[in-house]
Amino acid sequence: MTIVIRDTPSLQKRKRRAAPRLAALDTTIGRALVQAVAVAAFFAAWELGVRLGWISNFLVGSPVGIFNLTIRLIANGELLVDTSYTLFEAILGFVIGTIMGSLLGLALWYSVFVARLVEPFIVAINSVPKIALAPIIVLWFGTGLVSKVALSVSLTAIVALIAAYQAAKDADTDLQSLLISMGATKHQVFFKAVVPSTLPAIIATFRINIGFGLVGAVVGEFISSQHGLGHMIFTASSLYDLNTVWVGLFTLMVIGFILYYVIDIIERATLPWKLSSTTHQVQV
Amino acid sequence: MLEDLSFSINERDFVSIIGPSGCGKTTIFNIIAGLLEPDSGSILYRGEEIESLRGRVGYMMQKDLLFPWRTVLQNVLLGLEMKGVAREVAEARAHEYLKQFGLAGFENAYPKTLSGGMRQRVALIRTLIMDPDILLLDEPFSALDYQTRLYLEGVLKDAVETYNKTVILVTHDIDEAVALSKRVVVLSGRPARVKTVHTIDIDARSPIAARSDSQFSGYFHALCAELDIQTEKTPAGTTT
Repeated sequence: MTIVIRDTPSLQKRKRRAAPRLAALDTTIGRALVQAVAVAAFFAAWELGVRLGWISNFLVGSPVGIFNLTIRLIANGELLVDTSYTLFEAILGFVIGTIMGSLLGLALWYSVFVARLVEPFIVAINSVPKIALAPIIVLWFGTGLVSKVALSVSLTAIVALIAAYQAAKDADTDLQSLLISMGATKHQVFFKAVVPSTLPAIIATFRINIGFGLVGAVVGEFISSQHGLGHMIFTASSLYDLNTVWVGLFTLMVIGFILYYVIDIIERATLPWKLSSTTHQVQV
Repeated sequence: MLEDLSFSINERDFVSIIGPSGCGKTTIFNIIAGLLEPDSGSILYRGEEIESLRGRVGYMMQKDLLFPWRTVLQNVLLGLEMKGVAREVAEARAHEYLKQFGLAGFENAYPKTLSGGMRQRVALIRTLIMDPDILLLDEPFSALDYQTRLYLEGVLKDAVETYNKTVILVTHDIDEAVALSKRVVVLSGRPARVKTVHTIDIDARSPIAARSDSQFSGYFHALCAELDIQTEKTPAGTTT
């Protein structure tokens, strides 16, 4: 028996659609190269614009100036001191806020009654822009470390709470039924089914919350502080010292970048079962 | 949903329940397993009236319900953890079962990496290892391809005979019901009633051998006829 396929239009279409030139660049090194070229081009254009007088050095600063200043601030240790202040505040706020929020959110699973009772209050608190609390928080907690941490906590806790509560509500009921049919107590259902199934959602909030932790620290420093990157940016911008502002901003960017990858590592370590499959995206 | 529904099950029995979809088979299971409370009625177990068989049944569903964050071994150990069995004892028993069901070497694999048939085998081990009095199987193989299903039916039948278990199987598959069971309970549509109980008298070693037994097609057609009559009585929306 023979099978004859007369025409294969769909197969031909597939082949034509693939872009061979893009595929060559779509490797780790290829992508890094494209990214580096894009960044270099951006700074070159900026520097050129300043030198040719198209862009005001006074209002936007210049890449060479920023670079020289960065070297100087690293050498005299100022940048390190400011960075460590902000980083410490942000991480402390992130850790306290995320843990408190997640625990509260998970705890709400235990009592549907309490959960329904507090739901409107959670929504109400969430709808206040927490940044608006910053002046009061400084009044209450002073101009030191505590007020920045408190602001970070107020931002991160509510995000973690809502995410954890939602994830606990969405936890697979069939898995819970199975445990109950095995004779599990409510406690066992909580720890063996609910908590593990909320972990991916809770860790996903880490990514959002690390950003909010930094927001809290920096805004707290804007309001009143003696140290920190927020302090550095705020005082420099009031003196029209744009290069210093940029150094602060780029440092914040680098911190955010590093913390994001730290969370990536935490995710890999805590959720190995999520990563056991190699394909993570459908190719369209 | 259920009305005037009563049937008895002997020790070491293998009873299948078939009936039109949506007639409440899963509800019956949930009541037996203690996941739902009946509005009225009672369950008699070894001569005593009890509320439910919670903790004494092994429940297995169409979905394998393996915990994705647990490895094969940890999934198998789940029920024993609930019972508070000592870790070493439980693990020794788990390894024994895994070996017997051809899953040795997969102890540390996550469910995501296993095939459907393997996952359902892990689910079966998880059910059996708790040594439940009754196995409640709710269409356990209906999501699998036919070959895997035939294979797992054989595994199930062997296991049930080895461990002397009582089984209640809900299925849509008349073929499967006849090949596996000692008795088949036919339910009528909503509200569910017991229509007839057929005793299947095929003495075959395996579900595949049962299918080639001379009486097989007789039972098969008899059960088909029972269900056909129902579909005529309640034409809209009932499929079997």
